[in-house]
Amino acid sequence: MKKYIALFMMLFLFATPALAEVKVVATLPWIGSIAKEIGKDKINITTLVKPMQDPHFAEAKPSMILAARKADILMYNGLDLEIGYLPRIIESSNNPNIQPGKTGNLDCSQFITPIEKPASVDRSMGDVHPLGNPHYHFSPKNILKVAEVMANVFSDIDAGNADFYRGNLQIFKDRLMEKQKQWSSKPLKGGKYVSYHKLLEYLAQEYGFQIQGYIEPKPGIPPSAGHLSEMIENIKKTKPDAILATVVAGKKEAEALSLKTGVRSVVLPQDVGATEASKDWFSLMDEVLKGLE
Amino acid sequence: MPSYGSDIESRLKVLEETLQLQQKTIEDQQKVINELKNELSESRKEVAARPEEKPVEEAKSQKATGLFGASNLANPNISLILDTFGYTSNLRESELKNRGIPGYTTEGITNRKGFNLDSAELFLFAPVDPYFNLYATIPVTENGAEVEEAYFLTTSLPYGFQLKGGKFKSGFGRINSQHPHAWDFADIPLPYRAFMGGEGIIEKGAQLTYLPRLPFYTILGAEVLQGDNNVLFGPNAKSGPHAYALFAKASFDFSDNSTILFGPSVMTGKTKTDSIVDDTEFSGDSTLYGLEFTYKWKPSKQQSLTVQSEYLYRSQHGTVAATTELLKRAQDGLYVQGIYQIDRWRLGARYDVLDLFKDDYILAGTNTDFGGKPWRAAGMLEFNPTEFSRIRLQYNHDKSARDEKTNNEMLLQLIFGIGAHGAHPF
Repeated sequence: MKKYIALFMMLFLFATPALAEVKVVATLPWIGSIAKEIGKDKINITTLVKPMQDPHFAEAKPSMILAARKADILMYNGLDLEIGYLPRIIESSNNPNIQPGKTGNLDCSQFITPIEKPASVDRSMGDVHPLGNPHYHFSPKNILKVAEVMANVFSDIDAGNADFYRGNLQIFKDRLMEKQKQWSSKPLKGGKYVSYHKLLEYLAQEYGFQIQGYIEPKPGIPPSAGHLSEMIENIKKTKPDAILATVVAGKKEAEALSLKTGVRSVVLPQDVGATEASKDWFSLMDEVLKGLE
Repeated sequence: MPSYGSDIESRLKVLEETLQLQQKTIEDQQKVINELKNELSESRKEVAARPEEKPVEEAKSQKATGLFGASNLANPNISLILDTFGYTSNLRESELKNRGIPGYTTEGITNRKGFNLDSAELFLFAPVDPYFNLYATIPVTENGAEVEEAYFLTTSLPYGFQLKGGKFKSGFGRINSQHPHAWDFADIPLPYRAFMGGEGIIEKGAQLTYLPRLPFYTILGAEVLQGDNNVLFGPNAKSGPHAYALFAKASFDFSDNSTILFGPSVMTGKTKTDSIVDDTEFSGDSTLYGLEFTYKWKPSKQQSLTVQSEYLYRSQHGTVAATTELLKRAQDGLYVQGIYQIDRWRLGARYDVLDLFKDDYILAGTNTDFGGKPWRAAGMLEFNPTEFSRIRLQYNHDKSARDEKTNNEMLLQLIFGIGAHGAHPF
């Protein structure tokens, strides 16, 4: 009898089917979107943080842990953006393939050049990211690097389809070049904006505009009434081109400031899928740049 | 004058020519700079595009951001959590101290009126090597430091298994494995206090969990524990490990914003304790059953609602030393709580009750009636300036002592965390 039980257990343990497609778990929608461009129908993507959730404040839901358990590759933003939930998801996943140091653990930030890395930081400065500004997904330059790394990792894990992934990378690169031309022809140079959160700094650097102030007095700290009235004076004086907020953060505050100052407010998608038009990373960029114009 | 003018003109011309020459030199230099720049960025791109030629690990190691963020090797990640509260009650401190729950426990409430320091809790964690993570929780109280938890956790077992070993909070139930500073109220619910004591079940032992690849989240766990819990087992119930626990938890997402988590737990072991009947030792077997349920709705970071409940049932039978008479206890309890969060504020209510469906206390064949059901109602209001600080005001209307006296208590709790960033549990 014992023998049969053991045999049954073995069957249960090994009865996982051969991988038909590479199972990719992406923490954020934009990561899933780039992965889709490179992996197309050869990969199966699960995105943990939904477009209408703030990536700073997600929680390690059991369904996320289950997705991580099934993953061949876990791809994440890094620079401590997901520090509130990702360590727990990885550890609770009981999945050795996605542990740090394994090929299935891809910290996309390792391949980009972070900006605004503070020389020293403590939490009296608010939620400052000690490794640099984590919102590099608005930087075409950096996204290109992320796409290249994804193609490499997919090729490593699913060697049989390596040419397919490299081909898709080339298609992605060509499209990016073309889009870059279109984006850089937009008259953004010299523009001045006020933003709710530190989000568009990479884009500002690459397209030559300026974020001259923030509605948040410190990153992650909501503004007090006093700070808002200071902002009103400041905005009236400096007359920025627009007051920027995102679908998940600062919409109310930006609209209130707009009403008081006459400067238009723009609500941007912070990630793929946050608005109807931002279906993938390209259309996300399209929409954000259109909003800034 | 014309000669002077032409002199100026010729000088201007010379200047102009010089300028043009310089301009050209600058342009040429710029060209060279641009070419060099391009070359550099090309070669950088090439380097970036060629990680297949060098191991990914090597490319990564240049920027060390591990599982726990910006860590370094010389020190583990360290955080310190200060948990402090102010307390007041309509009862005297001496009354509170002796205020047990008749039929359940003789242990009372040890809070002092005025300022209280729960603990300054040191929390250390780091990967040991590619196979183990290590955690330690060391609360420092006015009576000294103690090792509340110190355990390893495997990271590389195959087939969805994970092993935990050392001293740790049991996976039994929902609140048990949470740290007190992460609780939604300042104190533990009555059923926990009645069956496991004020801190829950923290034991030395080993835990194995299995997370199968099912369409929905299910985790199965088994534990072998020393069985030292003061209330459930007593400190010297038996030499050698004698407590065993099993638990299962399942979870579904109804939508992106709403999730439920539920499951049963059971724990069994030997008991030898004098906290049931004053100064009299009871010796026997105990089994504790639990059912947990949590529903969370979180449409945005500005708003959320959590409803959570646990039902506990404990059956116990054995002898009372002085008389060698048989004592059989079969008792149960329940708590239900709801927390509504809006922006940085959280509002909560909790109801605890014991003797809900079962209140057997049969000593030598006679069922003792201790009086009405022990119950307590709590309300709390919290302000969380950031995720690292919490200010909580809680009011308890406590009728758990089954007598005429009600304990109306008020707590103002302050919790602060510094150091490494912990994870937000579900």
